[in-house]
Formats: sequence, structure tokens, C-alpha cells
Amino acid sequence: MISSKQLISENNEKRKLLTKENEKYYDDLLLYIRLQMKLSEQQTEEVLMEMLDHLIEGQNEGKTAREIFGDDPKKYADEIVGELPPAKVKKIVPFVSYLTFNLISLLLLINGVTIFVASLFKKVDSTVFPFNSLIQFLVLLTSIGFEIEFIFYLIRKSLFRKHSSKIKDSVAVGISVVLFFSLNIGLPHLIPNFGPSFQFGWIPSIITGVILWLICFWAKKRFKII
Amino acid sequence: MSVRSQLLKGVLDGCVLAIIEKEPVYGYELSKKLQDAGLEDVSEGTVYPVLLRLQKNGYIHGDMRPSESGPNRKYYFLTEDGREALNELSLEWERIAIPVTSLLRRGDKND
Repeated sequence: MISSKQLISENNEKRKLLTKENEKYYDDLLLYIRLQMKLSEQQTEEVLMEMLDHLIEGQNEGKTAREIFGDDPKKYADEIVGELPPAKVKKIVPFVSYLTFNLISLLLLINGVTIFVASLFKKVDSTVFPFNSLIQFLVLLTSIGFEIEFIFYLIRKSLFRKHSSKIKDSVAVGISVVLFFSLNIGLPHLIPNFGPSFQFGWIPSIITGVILWLICFWAKKRFKII
Repeated sequence: MSVRSQLLKGVLDGCVLAIIEKEPVYGYELSKKLQDAGLEDVSEGTVYPVLLRLQKNGYIHGDMRPSESGPNRKYYFLTEDGREALNELSLEWERIAIPVTSLLRRGDKND
């Protein structure tokens, strides 16, 4: 078996062999199919490679992508997506946990550095309310998920069209980003602190951040997560 | 969709299984064989959704191997389940095809 990573880099090389017209057709198919995050990556990359090889062989015989895959690329891509098997839970769980813990380590580092820099100028209260932090973190995680899903949705929608409304899409992304930041920056001020609390200064914050980041790094290599 | 392509849709899976039963093929080869068999208006790309579906059902399994020159080829093999499905399909097809052929031929009946 050839790994999906290998297939992706090979795909990047081979696409250069396509004519301009065929490349446009194939690129839209590829993006549309790859942006379905819930599908098995291995199967996705294998079928994309088969289609690309087919297209290159057809091109050598003077055929176009339109003749090979039909006049309705979106309908064709939907057929492929409909038949691709979903990603296995065994693959999703490590991937999502890796991203989550990586994000936590990054937040700890930012928190530590911010407290350190701020404490140079004024007295900083480094009290942590774990329940509040948990809520903020869950909201952050969910809103990141929504933001990614929304941007992928806009890209998928813009494919297969001669004239996509770039301005409208940019405005939509802009609004969603503003919403994202106001939610995540505003929320801590809206929810009053509650439950137990403890002191968590910049040194423990940075140390736990670094340790967690190293664990993530090790796990990524060890279990070949990405 | 034309009448012809609607009719074809239901039996294409069986045709693909029948070709793979003879010998393992890869996608491009498969589309050529379908066309050589007389199904010229099956657009070549149609084979990929069909192959994915048959794989998902466990009727065939694909094996992508690197080749020294040219493209990697993913060869498809018939599984035991696939053989059973093909047997059943061809049996059912006969039970439909014979009466339908005689009905649609019209005219040359003794009525």
C-alpha cells in the first residue's frame, strides 16, 4: 500500500502534466472531494490518484476531462463522495486529540508569556478558575470547528463555477471572523467567576505548556498522527 | 438522463463484477473493456463510483501498487462475496431479461 501522504505529493507532481483546461476541471474535483473531512483519507487519495492517472492517459489520446468524467463535475464529485467510506474512529480520535492538546499547550504558553510581560509593568492577578477556563476552552474549540466548517463550505460552494461571487464570500468570512473573536474575547467578561480557584503564575504556565507541547510532538512522531 | 443510461445504471455493477471475475483490472482498463463490450456511451469516469461502491460492499478489493515506470495501478480483485453476488445477479438478470425481451420484441407473437 502507498501511504496517503505519498499519494498527495505524487498527485502534486503529476497534476503539472495536465493541460490548462483539464487542470481546472480536475482541481475543482480534487478540492471538493478533499474538503469532505469525514471521509477516509487513504481511500480518498487512492481514488483521486486513479482519476488523475486516467485523465493523463486520456489526455494523451486527445480526450478532455469533460469527455471522461462528464459535463457535470459537481454531480460526479457528489457521486464519488457518496461512495467513499467514512474515516475510521481509530484515525479521527488521535487526530482530534492531538489538535486539542496542541491547542492547550499553545494557550498555556501564550498565557505564561502574557502574564510575564504584563507583570513587568503592573501587578497581575494570576488566579485561575478551572470551571470558567473549561467553559471558555470548550467554546473556543467549538467555534474553531464551526469556523473551519464554514470556510470549507464556502470553498466547496465556490467550486465548479465560472464566476463565483468573491466579494460576497469575503464579506461572509469577515463577519464570521468578527463573530468568532467577539464571542471568545467577550465571553470571559460575561460569565462571572465561580467554583474553586488557585494561583497559576507565568512559570508553571510556561512549564506545563512546554511539557505538553513536547508530549504532543512525541506522540505525533510515535503514532504518525499527521 | 436518457432511457438507456437509466436502464444501464442498475446493471452496471454486475457488468463490472463480470469483467473483474475474468481477470483483475485497473480503472482505465475496466472502462476500456466496458466500451469494447459495446457499452460505448458509459462515460469512462462512471467506473470510479461503481468501483468504490463494490469495494464498500466487500465484493471486490483494490490493491494500489507503485510501478517502476508510469502510473501506480490499483488492481481490483473479486472476493468470495463478490462471486456470490455476481452469481445471484446473473441468475436474476436471466429471469428478467428473457421475459422482457420477448415482451418488448412485440409483433412476432401468435396472438
